Amino acid sequence: MSRFLDSPTVRSIARVVLATTAALLLGFVITWLVSDDPIGAYKALLLGPVSRLNRFGDWIEESITLTFLGLAVALVFKAEQFSLGQEGQMVLGALVAGVVSLFVPLPAYFRIPLALLAAMTAGFLWGLIPGYLKAYLDANEIVSTLMLNVLAVKFYEYLLTYYIKPPNAGYTTSEKFPVEGVLPSFFPPIPGLENLRRTFVNQTNISVALYLLIVATIVVYYLMYRTPFGYELRMVGANIKFARYGGINTKRVIMLSMAISGILAGLAGAHLAMGIHRKLILNIQYGLGFEGIVVAILARNNPLAIPFTALAYGYLRAGADVMERTSDVSREMVLVIQGVIILLVTAERILPVVQKRVRARRGEDEDGAPPETLPPAPAAAEKGED
Amino acid sequence: MPIQVVLRSIFSALFVASVLRISTPLILPALGGLISELAGVINIALEGIMLVAAFTGVIISAYTHSVVLGVLAGIVVGVLFSALLALFHLYLETDIILAGIALNIMATGGTIFLLFTLTGDKGNSSSLASGAVPTIHLPFIEDIPFVGTVVSGHNIFTYLAFILTWLVAVFLYKTPLGTHLRAVGENPAAAASVGINVKRTQTIAILLSGFLASLGGLSLSMAYLTLFQNSMTAGRGFIALAAVYLGGRTPWGTFLAAIVFGFADALSNQLGSLSIPPQWVQMIPYAATVVALVAYNIRKRAQARERARKFQEQQLKELEAATTK
Repeated sequence: MSRFLDSPTVRSIARVVLATTAALLLGFVITWLVSDDPIGAYKALLLGPVSRLNRFGDWIEESITLTFLGLAVALVFKAEQFSLGQEGQMVLGALVAGVVSLFVPLPAYFRIPLALLAAMTAGFLWGLIPGYLKAYLDANEIVSTLMLNVLAVKFYEYLLTYYIKPPNAGYTTSEKFPVEGVLPSFFPPIPGLENLRRTFVNQTNISVALYLLIVATIVVYYLMYRTPFGYELRMVGANIKFARYGGINTKRVIMLSMAISGILAGLAGAHLAMGIHRKLILNIQYGLGFEGIVVAILARNNPLAIPFTALAYGYLRAGADVMERTSDVSREMVLVIQGVIILLVTAERILPVVQKRVRARRGEDEDGAPPETLPPAPAAAEKGED
Repeated sequence: MPIQVVLRSIFSALFVASVLRISTPLILPALGGLISELAGVINIALEGIMLVAAFTGVIISAYTHSVVLGVLAGIVVGVLFSALLALFHLYLETDIILAGIALNIMATGGTIFLLFTLTGDKGNSSSLASGAVPTIHLPFIEDIPFVGTVVSGHNIFTYLAFILTWLVAVFLYKTPLGTHLRAVGENPAAAASVGINVKRTQTIAILLSGFLASLGGLSLSMAYLTLFQNSMTAGRGFIALAAVYLGGRTPWGTFLAAIVFGFADALSNQLGSLSIPPQWVQMIPYAATVVALVAYNIRKRAQARERARKFQEQQLKELEAATTK
């Protein structure tokens, strides 16, 4: 039994489950304090996403965005680079994907791949900037990425307001994308299932991004665990000094980790524009800024686990939407739950402490596994070594 | 409006005064960021602490009709919030950056959630009559032309920003605790070996930075504006962090850097009256932060190279002296 508890996989899963349960309980206490109908509100939160097909669609669509964002975060966090630039990369990805979808007169077979490629490139380049600044000028990546996010969002607003929006439109949105620029439904046209397909197409926007997501997850896993670059990336994350002495070009790894992470955030943007909204709208990034972080942390930065944590977390978000629409509790409560989850999952001491107590009560020795510690990141960022 | 009018207004006393007013909610959290940075515990949660304090100040002052109680409550809640950072990072071994991010997310969500619960509005607290801290008119000085307009008639927090910069400088360089704090940040193991309690010192640093960030948040919601707006800090906690680096990790350097960002912000307010798309103007403070971050690091690099060169020359000279003997 104690060996079972010491297995790192079991322990990290146990930690995630415990943390999530504790956070959901806290959420219930808060709901109970503020709501006239706390049971109803919490029921909407927990069962909302599966109550109707269109809500189910919202959940899956949201989870696709979250998976791309989570993969983007996992890549940089694995290298101990705390880039928070996914928001800006996503917005620019949505922008260029939208521009290609709207204005490039090509058939769908060319237009959609081109739009995706453009979004990936935009994300890559917008990630390359803070990566270069961190690697070669030692500029704090948290500050630079947050500032670049604002610049990207303002640039998006500028182009949308002055160039993309049709001149006589009342709202600041683009035209609806033509059919050649919208991601097709995930449901293949199988003979005999036309009715089912029609139901899905009418009620949900689940698109082929679902398959793209599976490919992206496998590619990121392969990149991180089966290529020399992935090895270097993990070494830089585990111990940057050791990596440098081992002959790894740490600057290149830092820069590329942020840029490659941008590709995935760019794809999230393309999915937002071409899959979900099918037009460019103001605040297209609303509420998604830091969501990739939770998804990646819940998965302990393991790419293969990210689609599942994205589904679980997407469920909570979709549920919060239903809760806000059907009760008197606002959806921002989920952000509080989210913060609690991050704190509890990343607190290295919480589970070991509990374990020790359990052992002590059983009268065993206190020689449990030593608490794992993350490498001390902040101090290392100070030293500008050539 | 023609550009001349804008230029004339930039060189006016009112503009200089507005720079000071706009810089206040940057100077205060930047000082907090400096203290925790020097103690080796980077405080990413400045933004969240500011938000929480700004919100509490508005709510408590609206419900008690007392500005003093509002300010005190804002400080207490802000410091408690920073205590969470200390608890999770120092005692439960959460990575400090992740803990900071988590607290920021909780602050953003929690304030909107409570604002909606209390007022039914997610945007701002304009339906509540919240208080404002008094402004101070300096006798005699306010009658001097130009200087009077610049120096007199600010709210308490602006004067506090000046005084606290000085106090922080005294604290860091002239008191035993301040020296210990810098020693802990420089090399925790060495500090521990001479008997300094590292955890305790870092806890104090985080709480102090929480206190200063709370003042920054309150200056935003009870002086600069007199209401709470959803996410009203708008990245100021992070710009403050950039000011710490740009200011060379010294109190007065940080103070000046915060004023530079305040200038960029004030400038964007002025340019708002020109017929430039507002998005370009709104980018100015953020673009200035990125540029400043780059400039600071290029300078730091050049200095390090210079030091290395001097050291080499000196060694060569000593070697020469030794061989000629």
